[in-house]
Amino acid sequence: MKIAYYPGCVAQESGRELDMATRWVCRELGIELVEFPTFSCCGSGFVDEANQILNVALNARNLAIAERAGLDLLTICSTCQGMLTLANVKMTEPAMRARIDPVLAKLQIAYGGKVRVKHLLEVLVNDIGIEAIRAKVRRPLAGMNVGAFYGCHLLRPTLELGSESAEEPHSFEELLTAIGATPVMYRGRVMCCGFPILFVKPETANRISGRQIADARDHGAHAMATPCPLCHISLDSFQNKASAAVGQKLNMPVFHLPQLVGLALGASPEELGLPRHLVPVEPALARIGTTP
Amino acid sequence: MPEKLVTAHVDVFRHDPAGGGAPRYQRFTLELPPHTPVLTALLRIRAEQDPSLTLRYSCRSAICGSCAMQINSKSRLACQTPIGPEIAEHGRIVIEPMRNQAGVRDLVVDQTPFWEAYDRMRPHLITDPLRPMPEGRETSMTPAQVEQFRETPRCISCAACYSACPAVEADAAFPGPMALAKLYRFVVDPRDQARQDRLLRIQTEGLWLCLRCHLCTEACPKDVRPSERIRDLKEMAIAAQGGTERGSRHAIGFKQNIRERGQLNEMKLVLQTDGILGSIGQAGQGFKIWRKKPEISKRPRRIEGIEEVEEIYKELDPKPKGDR
Ligand code: SF4
Ligand code: SF4
Ligand code: FES
Repeated sequence: MKIAYYPGCVAQESGRELDMATRWVCRELGIELVEFPTFSCCGSGFVDEANQILNVALNARNLAIAERAGLDLLTICSTCQGMLTLANVKMTEPAMRARIDPVLAKLQIAYGGKVRVKHLLEVLVNDIGIEAIRAKVRRPLAGMNVGAFYGCHLLRPTLELGSESAEEPHSFEELLTAIGATPVMYRGRVMCCGFPILFVKPETANRISGRQIADARDHGAHAMATPCPLCHISLDSFQNKASAAVGQKLNMPVFHLPQLVGLALGASPEELGLPRHLVPVEPALARIGTTP
Repeated sequence: MPEKLVTAHVDVFRHDPAGGGAPRYQRFTLELPPHTPVLTALLRIRAEQDPSLTLRYSCRSAICGSCAMQINSKSRLACQTPIGPEIAEHGRIVIEPMRNQAGVRDLVVDQTPFWEAYDRMRPHLITDPLRPMPEGRETSMTPAQVEQFRETPRCISCAACYSACPAVEADAAFPGPMALAKLYRFVVDPRDQARQDRLLRIQTEGLWLCLRCHLCTEACPKDVRPSERIRDLKEMAIAAQGGTERGSRHAIGFKQNIRERGQLNEMKLVLQTDGILGSIGQAGQGFKIWRKKPEISKRPRRIEGIEEVEEIYKELDPKPKGDR
């Protein structure tokens, strides 16, 4: 399949390992990524707080770029997924269109509402299919208990985004099972990572992420996996702070979703950017008999 | 035809702090039609198996807001939640009191902090004594003005949202989704004369601690959509007062950041929110991350077509309040 690739800001900068893993996995599964250097940032929820209409307009421009090429759009970030979908929904409201269409028209941009915004998780589970992925597994992740961490905007708010139950989703766990890992069910899997206030009130944000990591660990997780690079910043890059905030050494390896799929399909840890993590992933890799 | 009965295994959280003894889960098993509300199941348990089971309820019709609790970890009204789907999904029904509020006994919690946060929002019309309401007649509102309230008048104060909110859980300074939805309702009320003051105060009283996780909106049995109204409050606060707080500075800084390159400049954003001195406090962590991810210190590329982005900003963000 062929799809417009919307990597988002973080995967092009500090979260580059996510981009590396995505490209590796898509190559392996025959997903052709079409790139557009014209895409702008999704606004990450912050632009939405400062100016809602501006936020919708910027994302309508992104959607129009994919539409012009006749492609659906692939995201690898829960927040990009949420913001682009929000714009897709808002662009069906006549009052919103009345404000935005004339602005875009001046730039010879028109958005017809045809683009479907799909997160990589959805593409893997629904378009490629669990069975097709299972058939390609070369290194089953047997022995690794993994806590899926969905990230808010992949699931909520339901009205706009819901491709599956927001409170009791299953797709991530199904994917983990297909690649041989054992999914861990815990309350925190649908909770918030704290990222939106990481730079507003860090101690509160760290306490929130710390609780989710501790929850996963208490339910037996050897590692966590997330479809969102912002969650990864909270859970991995700031895990030392989260540990301090909850007063326990957490030591929880946190994978990006395509890194785990890549591992199972036979990629090396280096190809997946695993050495770039702040929390060492070796203990989790040792469980599946892999050393970087 | 009568509905087929299902076997309901109900694991109920039991705790009597006053009487001592550790919290525990007690299993009750009963046969009921699948459409039976959880509340009815609990009342049957109380009537037939254990009269000491303590819970709060009144209307049994999703009106009074008394019976919110956790049903298989989800915040729900017990009188509105049928047992069938819960048994189908989980094989049993785990009943626990609401979160984020101290337990009084079994399923009853102490709602004092929830109501105190509500009171702090001054949930009543505030009028200027020098500009009294017209006497002798009602103040009328246009349909468009009524529309501004959105779904907020539906709130039944059940606290399901409060129970689900991770910001409430982690920070006592956060007033919670219901209180903020209520504040919104007064901020948009055309009769209220304290709009500016309300927006100014809430900026330092927790508005910017909302994580926009939408867990409250998911939990709300009345579709009040608190998270979306909190987003509106943030936008109104910025429009009225600009970047007076770290939260508003961060949102404004982010917006400006995208205007320049079309892409996020991670380093610059931290500097904008914290100022130079504040950023030094974060520097130790920044260094740890930089060693693994050196690109955080580089400026990102400018996207192609940045002129289009600039044009959209000019049209839709012409006089940004509080921007640098
Ligand atoms: S969106 Fe805000 S108010 Fe609602 S649950 Fe999340 S943090 Fe709480
Ligand atoms: S906003 Fe919804 S969940 Fe919160 S108290 Fe009101 S009715 Fe209950
Ligand atoms: S008993 Fe009144 S809302 Fe449930």
